[in-house]
Amino acid sequence: MTKNRLIRIRSYPAYGLILFVLMGFCGCSSSSENDQIRLRWRGKAAEGVDIPQSLTVGLPSDSVASLLKVRLVDSDPSVSILGDYSVESKTISFTPLIPFTRGLQYEVLLRNAPVGTFAVPAADPADAPELLGIFPSQDTLPENLLKIYLRFSQPMQEGKSADYVALISNNADTLKGAFLNLQPELWNEDRTVLTLWLDPGRIKRDLQPNRVLGNPLQRGVHYQLLVSSEWKNKLGASLPKTYDKSFVAGLRDSLSPVPAKWKIMVPSSGTRQSTKVEFNEPLDYSLLAESLSILDKNGRVVKGKWEIGEDEKAAHFKPLGSWQAGNYTLQVLTILEDLAGNNLNRPFDLDVTKKRAGLHSDEVIKVPFSVAD
Amino acid sequence: MKKTYYLLAMACAGFLLLATTYRTTESKYGMVVGSPEIKSMTSLSFGPDGILFVGDSKSATVFAVDTKDGAMNEKAANVEIKDIDRKIAVLLGTEVQNISIQDIAVNPVSKSVYLAVQHSDGTPVLFKIEGEKITPVNTKSIAYSSVALNDVPSESDKDRRGNSLRVSAISDLGYADGKLMVSGLSGKEFNSTFRSIPFPFTNKQDQASLEIYHAAHGKYETLSPIRTFTTAEISGKKYLVASYTCTPLVLFPLDELKAGQHVKGRTVAEMGSGNQPIDIVTLTKGNESYLMMANSNRPVFKVDYKNIEKYQGSLTTPVEESFATAGVDFVSLPVTNVLHLAKLDDSRMVLLQRRSNGSLDLWTSSERYL
Repeated sequence: MTKNRLIRIRSYPAYGLILFVLMGFCGCSSSSENDQIRLRWRGKAAEGVDIPQSLTVGLPSDSVASLLKVRLVDSDPSVSILGDYSVESKTISFTPLIPFTRGLQYEVLLRNAPVGTFAVPAADPADAPELLGIFPSQDTLPENLLKIYLRFSQPMQEGKSADYVALISNNADTLKGAFLNLQPELWNEDRTVLTLWLDPGRIKRDLQPNRVLGNPLQRGVHYQLLVSSEWKNKLGASLPKTYDKSFVAGLRDSLSPVPAKWKIMVPSSGTRQSTKVEFNEPLDYSLLAESLSILDKNGRVVKGKWEIGEDEKAAHFKPLGSWQAGNYTLQVLTILEDLAGNNLNRPFDLDVTKKRAGLHSDEVIKVPFSVAD
Repeated sequence: MKKTYYLLAMACAGFLLLATTYRTTESKYGMVVGSPEIKSMTSLSFGPDGILFVGDSKSATVFAVDTKDGAMNEKAANVEIKDIDRKIAVLLGTEVQNISIQDIAVNPVSKSVYLAVQHSDGTPVLFKIEGEKITPVNTKSIAYSSVALNDVPSESDKDRRGNSLRVSAISDLGYADGKLMVSGLSGKEFNSTFRSIPFPFTNKQDQASLEIYHAAHGKYETLSPIRTFTTAEISGKKYLVASYTCTPLVLFPLDELKAGQHVKGRTVAEMGSGNQPIDIVTLTKGNESYLMMANSNRPVFKVDYKNIEKYQGSLTTPVEESFATAGVDFVSLPVTNVLHLAKLDDSRMVLLQRRSNGSLDLWTSSERYL
């Protein structure tokens, strides 16, 4: 029997490092540890493979790269995988340019003759990602809604949102072209939060797409946003289910938020009570997290933690220390936007034929408040 | 004594001269040799002498990499590789659905085509096309320099200002007249950052952060992120020709793009809805020059620069109502589903196209498209 065959798969989850498939050839079944082709793991990625020199007898160390090959089983036999070889005392290490892919089988060849194969196990369902939230949270959203955020528990595969996110209107039609197909997509640095833009050309008044097709969302229509269970994380594990969010499109919002009209629940002095700021309308989930700060009477930032609540219509600030009687300032970066992209300085689209009353260029807006004795 | 001083001065001068010479040969363009930590390759563009700019959206950094690919090639051969994504997937030991080609660029000196590929786990790989051969470009132990696009506010920075727009995605790169131009999108603010960064990069970056507005038919004015751009000379004046996420084609005089200025561009064409511009290049044939534009949901557009020139007179006035539905005339070429295009030489471009049979092919256009 000359056919290579898979004889053993061993896993060492406790170490999290070694998992391999041992190959015998010529029907050998009495393999020792020294004959094993082992995958090299970095975290949960199979970043390389160690090939024992007992399998490559007669291979001169200066000819490794030219005579030894690692290839994908079931692919063009003449193509070997790109990567680097290094020769150590008893093994030859091969590190491909990208980690080996979960669920695929590979073959090692010496002078084009197979010496062994190895398989990379499919992603563990226990490593599956979750969709933690779809923002905005409200179930009534302005018809000129600009952005939707998806927040995942793990870094996801990029460039796939057009395949996996769908918007359905009135439980019937899938809306095509509602979201802008941006490449590269707008991910945060750790690839857990994706920003989707509804087509701004259709939201901007008077641009041709807006004139021809109107808003992506129509007032009074019910929508369902679906995020497919086929979406995988970086390791190749899929979401456990399809997620959905239902909402109805409401009135157009063409006005900038006005912090002076916000309500600040003033805490009592000497306490560490949370201060609550109510915005009268939901604001942008991602920008809120970084746009607010509270300054003391000397202009220093009060240390503490902000939490966004009530469907992004309010934020709570819990200070590390106690409130002192006296003057404080709520400072808001003017980049903060509402759900329709109107920031504190200017609305999303500005009618230049009208007077620009109330148009600012400040970087921050300050709202004073006092903590009583 | 005087003679001694004279000799000493000569020796110092000689030493300085040598030191300077050494510096320019060993660290061309202020580069150092090392292994740049490139986390993603989302945009490619060539600068002078085979310097490749790599836009890394993930770390919001642009790397300048010396490809050592600086031998002049006057007559570039046509490039044609069918099923290129499958071929690259096999070379990387994976399946085609696990890789994506992020961008292509042509070295204007050697005319070699470069491809940025990303694996589904985020690992980037740079390839060079030599004839039919697809070879990886080593990005370890190479001469490089880099520039970060985001200012990282420190914990104590109480005035985190809105003017340092955070780049989530580098949408395009371009090099002209000693400057690298970078357009970036933010994942948070609906805004555009467009930077003009002198190259070689210096420690003290003179970055021009621009706020760019464009008017829709003289009535509504919006901030808008630039998706792709090129530079072109129109009636003897240099312009930035930019296309937006909402598809209009907008012109900005290059000399007006200065730091801190509120620059208003002029919308010269709207090119359909539900569409994303992907790449723009300028090609020439004889005395005629054309703007070629690849789109996400439209065929490749060709715009005659002469038609753009005709609107020179109305640069500062609101766009006339007649532009509302058409703007500058453009021709749709019989080439659809082009994912990327790059200029090969004056009259040819390299296209990455998804054919109707599903095959992703890299091929070279001929003059018949002009």
